[in-house]
Amino acid sequence: MTPPRAEPAVELRGITKRFPGTLANDAVDLTVRHGEIHALMGENGAGKSTLMSVLYGMELPDAGTIRVDGRDVDFASPSDAMAAGLGMVHQSFKLFGSLSVAENVVYAAEPRRFGLVDRAAARRRVRELAAEHGLAVDPDARVGDLPVGLRQRVEILKLLHRGARTLILDEPTAVLTPAEADALFAVLKSLAAEGRTVILVTHKLREVLEGSDRVTVLRDGRVVARLVTSETSADEIAAAMTGRAVELDRVHAPGTPGDVVLEVSGLATDAVRDVDLTVRAGEIVGIAGVAGNGQSELIEALAGLRPVGAGHVALQGEDITHASATERRLKGLAYVPEDRHAVGTAPDASVADNLAMGHHRTSLSSRGLLPPTAVRAHARRLVERFGIKASAPEASASALSGGNLQKLLIGRELAHDAPLLLVEQPTRGVDIGAIQNIHDQLIAYRDAGHAVLLVSAELSEIRGLADRVLVMYEGRITATYDKDAADERTLGLAMAGGSGKQVETVD
Amino acid sequence: MNDRISGALRSPVTFSVLAGVVIGALFLVGTGADPVTAYEAVLTGALGADGIGSTLTTTTSVLGMALALAIPLRARLINLGGDGQMVLGGITAAVTGLYAPLPAPLSVALALLAGMAAGAAYAALAALCENHLGVPLLVSSLLLSYPAVSLASYLARYPLKEPGSSLPQTRTLPDGVELPAFGDSTVTVGLVLVVLAAAAYWFTDRRTAIGYEIRMTGLNARFSAYAGVERRGLTLKLMSVSGALAGLVGAIGVLSFPYRFVDGSLTAPGYTWTGLTAALLAMAAPVGTVVSAFFFAVLQVGGLAMERTTEVPRELTQVLQAIVIVFLAARLRLPGRRLNRRKEAV
Repeated sequence: MTPPRAEPAVELRGITKRFPGTLANDAVDLTVRHGEIHALMGENGAGKSTLMSVLYGMELPDAGTIRVDGRDVDFASPSDAMAAGLGMVHQSFKLFGSLSVAENVVYAAEPRRFGLVDRAAARRRVRELAAEHGLAVDPDARVGDLPVGLRQRVEILKLLHRGARTLILDEPTAVLTPAEADALFAVLKSLAAEGRTVILVTHKLREVLEGSDRVTVLRDGRVVARLVTSETSADEIAAAMTGRAVELDRVHAPGTPGDVVLEVSGLATDAVRDVDLTVRAGEIVGIAGVAGNGQSELIEALAGLRPVGAGHVALQGEDITHASATERRLKGLAYVPEDRHAVGTAPDASVADNLAMGHHRTSLSSRGLLPPTAVRAHARRLVERFGIKASAPEASASALSGGNLQKLLIGRELAHDAPLLLVEQPTRGVDIGAIQNIHDQLIAYRDAGHAVLLVSAELSEIRGLADRVLVMYEGRITATYDKDAADERTLGLAMAGGSGKQVETVD
Repeated sequence: MNDRISGALRSPVTFSVLAGVVIGALFLVGTGADPVTAYEAVLTGALGADGIGSTLTTTTSVLGMALALAIPLRARLINLGGDGQMVLGGITAAVTGLYAPLPAPLSVALALLAGMAAGAAYAALAALCENHLGVPLLVSSLLLSYPAVSLASYLARYPLKEPGSSLPQTRTLPDGVELPAFGDSTVTVGLVLVVLAAAAYWFTDRRTAIGYEIRMTGLNARFSAYAGVERRGLTLKLMSVSGALAGLVGAIGVLSFPYRFVDGSLTAPGYTWTGLTAALLAMAAPVGTVVSAFFFAVLQVGGLAMERTTEVPRELTQVLQAIVIVFLAARLRLPGRRLNRRKEAV
């Protein structure tokens, strides 16, 4: 049953979806042809995910029609969408870590024999699919033991096993090394060559340019551009996404390093082994690495939120190896954590209360009292200084956009004026406009003579901001580069564990 | 101002209480009773001249326990051991009142303090179990409650039993060892103490650094830990204060009529659970806790009056309480779910 090629694989017409307070999709049209890789781009909140949820039967549209292979469809649930030949790889994988690859792939569509799951057939099926599509993976491996890149293959195999002809991938490269991302795109291209269709939801310009055929850009719930990839540029897409011209991948001028502020030697904790590093005043040291190579654990140990197993940590010459988080903050440490919703803020609390955290025992209080007027005045000062768009200090922080919440968090920590700032993923999930603002703030903080230790999965961010780059792989610092030596290819290779050679160290 | 009024009307609490009243009325109609008469009986019974004293006495205990449970709840810690802490406070106050060789007013003060100390120490034990042995507070506080109640029961039945009495109770406290009452009512200075505790809670919650830390811990424990709030220390402090208040309620119960420790008399009215319900209804907010504690005291006392005058069993008021809580729980879940969907969708 091959559908006629002339019909688009997926055709959305006038999709409108309203949530309380927002119009997530406003009469969106999207046409995806058979055998193409179609990128759906837009900033956070532009409506990409909503549109895909509608297409995949997870949300009912308020208006509009969906046609798949030329037939009108009306999906009430993802299983309807799957039955029509759609398949989705979610950003957070939906796999059973304790089961084998084969068990995961055939789950809910198991080959049966005498009413029981036919394991041999399942393994055979996985091998066939893997060979056919160039998705090599051991069918007997336990999924929990696999690296992220392979888990993603399992997700794709799962869809192929169920006969998906159109694959939707939501931010598929967020957790991959550059090499893994390249491998993924090779797979996607060969799937497209077989006549399957790929919809790629992403905000990464580079991979869209390299890996897609056509691009649809959403902004504020509306389609603002339909582009043919070979005829467009990163600047054009970025301008469509933000509605104005933006300067991409700015590389800031290097700082002027002074005294050593943070000195770490032989540090070991969970997932971190024998880390040595120094950060000087007036310097940003970047830690590059694929998520899950010990960066989070390292930063948590430095922030006092994870016990140190071995080694020493000194802040401005003072030993803080076993100091509590509070002691470290008093001695001059501020910290912007990776997960702003779960760790960095209390979204249900007010903007003012969120901005007071950490200041509530120092500048804002006297003798244990915390006057509400002081908290509000502090909030108004920071809201103005950091350009946080909040309706009032009393407003709930959950009403802020991702970028504004991040500005709040970074502003609060910068306001400590601490000699050392730890920053993790400062612009993850933040709009392009806010990214520039945040980068400028960090550079200004460095130039004011503070030391900054930056962890980021975005190579362009590391390269733009860091004066020195350390690469972390499997819990160790495997390479150190000066700003000029840290080009994308070199870093990418080192992040994948490829090259451990030390180009040059400053210390 | 209009915003505040419409906000209050739309709040889940108002909705739940109204829903409880409406469904309660349907129950009444279903059993052939007249809801208007029944509700009227509840209100006049609880708030009329004959009932108000009883309501305020009940409020003393319910509000005391509501505060005891609200304070840790503000940081999302649940103390289920209120009964044990209250009873230990009561028996300790009884022993102090009976045997302290002091002038009566000092005995009273000492008995109150001893009761609070006993409750605090016992609640702190539950906190230590969580902090150092990894027993969840919910479990440690609840399980520790039973031996405490049994111990007090044993003391009242054997070593401290009133000679010659057939009841499991201690001797009456010496003359003058009692909380001063207002006029000839049963309302004592205990009510003032509990209201002062509520005021202190409000002040701490709104105007102090520790109150801020408690609120933030309740809203996002990882957030406050990230900023350096030490969870174990906070758990220990909150549980100690909670236990002290529960002990105070026990001590007040002993130092008021019948001026002795009677086995079961502190736990039988279910102050701990009513208090917990009141604290949950108010989501542990200080003013809300006072209001909802009073509301439940009215229901409890008014229910008895209703039973007397209309033949509707007082269990109806318990049904009302339950309906209010069920609605509240349902309403509280709904916006959360919608929010999560939003997050996924955007």
